[in-house]
Amino acid sequence: MTAVRVDESGPAIDRGDVFLAVEPILVMRDLSVRFGALRAVEGVSFDVVPGSITSIIGPNGAGKSTLFNLISGALRPDNGRVHLAGHDVTGKSPNRLLAAGLARSFQITNLFFELSVFENLRLAAQRLEPGWRSLLPAKASRAALQRTEELIERFELGAGATDPAGSLSHGQQRRLEIAVAVATRPRLLLLDEPTQGMSHGDTVETSALISSLAGELTLLLIEHDVDLVMNLSDRVMVMHQGMKLAEGTPAEVRANADVQAAYFGEVDGA
Amino acid sequence: MAEAGAVAAAVAHNEKEGERTLNRLALAFVALGLIFAAVAASSGDVFFFRLASEALIFGGLALSVDLLLGFAGMLSLGQALFFGLGAYVSALVLKNLLPSFWLAMGITLAVATVAGMVAAVISIRARGVYFALITFGLAQVVAKVVYNVPRLGASDGIIGIPSIRIHLGLFDIDAASPAGFFLFCLGFMMLLYAACVYLMRSPAGRVLAAIRSNEDRVPFLGYPVGLAKVLAFVLAADVAALSGALYPMLRGFVSPELLYFEVSGNAVITAIIGGAGTLIGPLYGSVLIVGLRSVIGSYTSHHLIVIGSLFMLAVVFFPQGLIGFIARRREQRRLRRVAVVP
Repeated sequence: MTAVRVDESGPAIDRGDVFLAVEPILVMRDLSVRFGALRAVEGVSFDVVPGSITSIIGPNGAGKSTLFNLISGALRPDNGRVHLAGHDVTGKSPNRLLAAGLARSFQITNLFFELSVFENLRLAAQRLEPGWRSLLPAKASRAALQRTEELIERFELGAGATDPAGSLSHGQQRRLEIAVAVATRPRLLLLDEPTQGMSHGDTVETSALISSLAGELTLLLIEHDVDLVMNLSDRVMVMHQGMKLAEGTPAEVRANADVQAAYFGEVDGA
Repeated sequence: MAEAGAVAAAVAHNEKEGERTLNRLALAFVALGLIFAAVAASSGDVFFFRLASEALIFGGLALSVDLLLGFAGMLSLGQALFFGLGAYVSALVLKNLLPSFWLAMGITLAVATVAGMVAAVISIRARGVYFALITFGLAQVVAKVVYNVPRLGASDGIIGIPSIRIHLGLFDIDAASPAGFFLFCLGFMMLLYAACVYLMRSPAGRVLAAIRSNEDRVPFLGYPVGLAKVLAFVLAADVAALSGALYPMLRGFVSPELLYFEVSGNAVITAIIGGAGTLIGPLYGSVLIVGLRSVIGSYTSHHLIVIGSLFMLAVVFFPQGLIGFIARRREQRRLRRVAVVP
């Protein structure tokens, strides 16, 4: 493993042999999970630095979504630990993780389809009120309403805000999917293929939205759109057959021969 | 911000209009009850007062079904368990401990809360049809136990429950007075209804709607689904038990039939015919069902055939139920009116 240059302007990454300049918000150590004989995720260690945009790429079946499920509490790892902001959160339930500042979106749109767009966002935002307030009338929760309004404006969902989420176009549903996760004010946001199935125009807009979020929270994304990943990300981790193949800056990853062989398929016979 | 503020205002307005419609239907229910009481009292009636009180009491049971079915999307086929539990606890307290309304209600509430928690822990992990079957099974087990315990009167139930006076601070109500007890039941059920409405319109209540819509997503918004479902289940158990606790005050006896599936099934039918998710619908539905049962029952003992057919027709043609249908019609009229105004 090569020495790492600690650049003051960019994030410093712990590779075990380098002192940390910034404490990572998310630390994965030796994460593994098996489904029967399938090693879906095998010995993945990886850090995410606060304030960064980090992307996970890899071919279909590489274990990216499974890794997300391990981090976000949807699955329990067979082995390994996850630390969030210095606390061991391995195997914690999703609602506890959210309280600790981790929110996620889903690759397959996962909304409250019968409820209005507004209600989808308010449900996410109303957690911002202290517990006892959840028994006051909903209209009394000003912070939740304000947060909801903010997000409707920011994600341009105003036109159909009173319609059921299920009646939105695919692109709008994907935007709402992100907005719902953002509404909870997470410190770390996991986005699972945020631009999945979007038109080119929507993808460009969503990419701009994502980079605008980077100022307020840390982003970890899974993305298939390689151009988007390379433009957006500070760091990229490449997965292949459940394992970490490489990590580094977009340029480093692009130049990596293993990555080219496994993912980009540009090098023959590697 | 101005545009987004407008969105929130529009949503708030829609919500308020929807809530106002249901509030008016609840007020209409009270008004109809009072008109009925005036007419019945002036003609010196006893039978219809008793029947209407019974409709209100079973309306409370249907209300508890609606809390689970209409909000959290949980179909309980064993709600009679808590209704019967309330009736038995109330009967035992009144007969063996002290003929005090408040003591009977207090002990019923405590017992139902504990029983609700136990039943919730057993049933809540299952979803859909499995949850329905577990609640059904629980109620059957308890009914059979009660049926075979001599100290609880076994198949005869408990008879000879003393008539009580209900102390309400400023005045007393004699539970033996048909008109007095009817008015008391009306007030009591409206209080239960108001409490349920308040809770279901709170942010906590909205989490139940989220659970019904997409249970698996809810933990990722930070809400513990299991806890929310347990609380909803216990609330419904309490509402059913408090309603059941009025039964021996009306009838002077309790019997194991109160725990049977027919009572649970009727409550589900009542909630759906009245309008699931409206809370006031089940009270209207109960008046309808208890009334029909009595009217049809005076001609034939096969009243279940009629009520069953009615239920099927209602599900096919009025899937939102009576009150759901009315509320929706009013909503559509309002939206058309709004659309005309530029």
